[in-house]
Amino acid sequence: MNYPPAKTKKMRELYSKTGEWLRGTGPESDIVISTRIRLARNLANFPFLHRATEGQRKEVEKLVREKLKEATLTRDLHYVKLSEVSSVDRLCLMERRLISREHAGGDGERGVAFGKSETISVMVNEEDHLRIQVIRSGFELRDAWKTIDEIDNTLEEKLHYAFSPRFGYLTACPTNVGTGMRASVMMHLPALGLAHHIEKVFNAVGKLGLVVRGIYGEGTQALGDLFQISNQFTLGKSEVEILEIMEGVIPRIAGYERMARKALITENKEQLEDRVWRSYGMLKVARMLSSEEAMHLLSQVRMGVNLGLINDVSMETLNELFVLTLPAHLQKLEGKEMEASERNVIRASYVRKRLGAFQ
Amino acid sequence: MKCESCNKRHATVHLTEINGNEKRERHLCEECAQSLNNPLVKMPTPADILSSLINQVAPEIGEMSKTACPACGLSYLEFRSKGRLGCPMDYTAFKKGLVPLLEKMHGASQHIGKVPSRAGKELVVKNEVLQLRKELDKAVEKEDYEKAAKIRDRIFELSASEDKKDEGTLQQNG
Repeated sequence: MNYPPAKTKKMRELYSKTGEWLRGTGPESDIVISTRIRLARNLANFPFLHRATEGQRKEVEKLVREKLKEATLTRDLHYVKLSEVSSVDRLCLMERRLISREHAGGDGERGVAFGKSETISVMVNEEDHLRIQVIRSGFELRDAWKTIDEIDNTLEEKLHYAFSPRFGYLTACPTNVGTGMRASVMMHLPALGLAHHIEKVFNAVGKLGLVVRGIYGEGTQALGDLFQISNQFTLGKSEVEILEIMEGVIPRIAGYERMARKALITENKEQLEDRVWRSYGMLKVARMLSSEEAMHLLSQVRMGVNLGLINDVSMETLNELFVLTLPAHLQKLEGKEMEASERNVIRASYVRKRLGAFQ
Repeated sequence: MKCESCNKRHATVHLTEINGNEKRERHLCEECAQSLNNPLVKMPTPADILSSLINQVAPEIGEMSKTACPACGLSYLEFRSKGRLGCPMDYTAFKKGLVPLLEKMHGASQHIGKVPSRAGKELVVKNEVLQLRKELDKAVEKEDYEKAAKIRDRIFELSASEDKKDEGTLQQNG
């Protein structure tokens, strides 16, 4: 079956480039891929989404959509009604981290607004009426907080949020109540994985009130040595306090990863070089690549670039490949629905092309 | 032992009845025992067993089990089984049950942090004071008395401005 081209101009534009958060710039960007903060907000005069009637959902969607347009958060805010785009388009939005897995798979009236640079997005009618999100390349918690705080203030002038002095911002799930804030940092930790130190790190992080997840949120697997570290608690600590804890912890984990890389180089340089170059070679010659294998190999090459072992491929290209080789993006690239085996062929060919390999 | 009433099934319920000085033992099967209409032999239903278990694990559920939100109609038990609240009002309606739950979940049940400006300036100040008190404790713990003094002064300042405002409204009202 051939996919019809994306109906809306916005969706077509989406495929012509990738988000700014993949640029591979910003503090600690050798190890921290991106920083994300999201705020959960609900309207005071409506039931939470799962208990709202179809009519109320429509009302909330319309109200928030209109206010988002009025608020002019950025000059070029796009709004996509998820009921009007194909399931592959929705998966693409998820792969780009503009919407959650739940939002991609859900039904009823819901949407997402996002800026052209894809650093800001607002999900409408996810688990909460609004899920505001800011993503930055590298380790930029303060910057992300400043931006999202301003967006929140702007929206607050136009929408009546559900708030209680005792419990803070009220959310459908009590695990988000209070600040409604989840800050998460995506880290690339291949050497800690190789040295079997990763569990130790996670245990220590858990004691500080932080949790580790896979890259697409709760319950997802950690592919390509990519981990999301985020705050567990949202009540009883201020936003800044939560960010301060993370600012203390994340650079230490990054430092620990660098130490592990150094140890690998001094103790077993040949083995590490062999591993990195083999991975690079595989990516350049393979004729079929599964999504997991591609992630794994890209992870090794990314580490090789950071260690100065490989210098003819940019960090941005590697970061982009992590996203563009995901199933929905590949199908979009080819403009048709494909079985896993067919995707593996296309994925390998696309990676070879991007790495400038002999076809 | 066979049931003495039906003489067919195995006797699994053994009763001792005491009437004055007379003691009488009865051995019955479950079905015959149920038909006796004796409250002692009534078997608890699975729901009864469950609620007694819940009472042991989370005592507030028993107390809250009859509560439902007047705004959205969600019952406290529905909330506990699904884990999602129905509307913002639920936080008020289920407060008694929610506070211990939030304590378990977050280690706290009082919001400290951002306040929408709509909620009023007093609340913003109140939250800042709460936040400063925490910082004061931390500074004292670290024996950073210089910082502690600064925080203390700021708390006084904020509280004083609040008091003044209270006086102001009183005078206006008076």
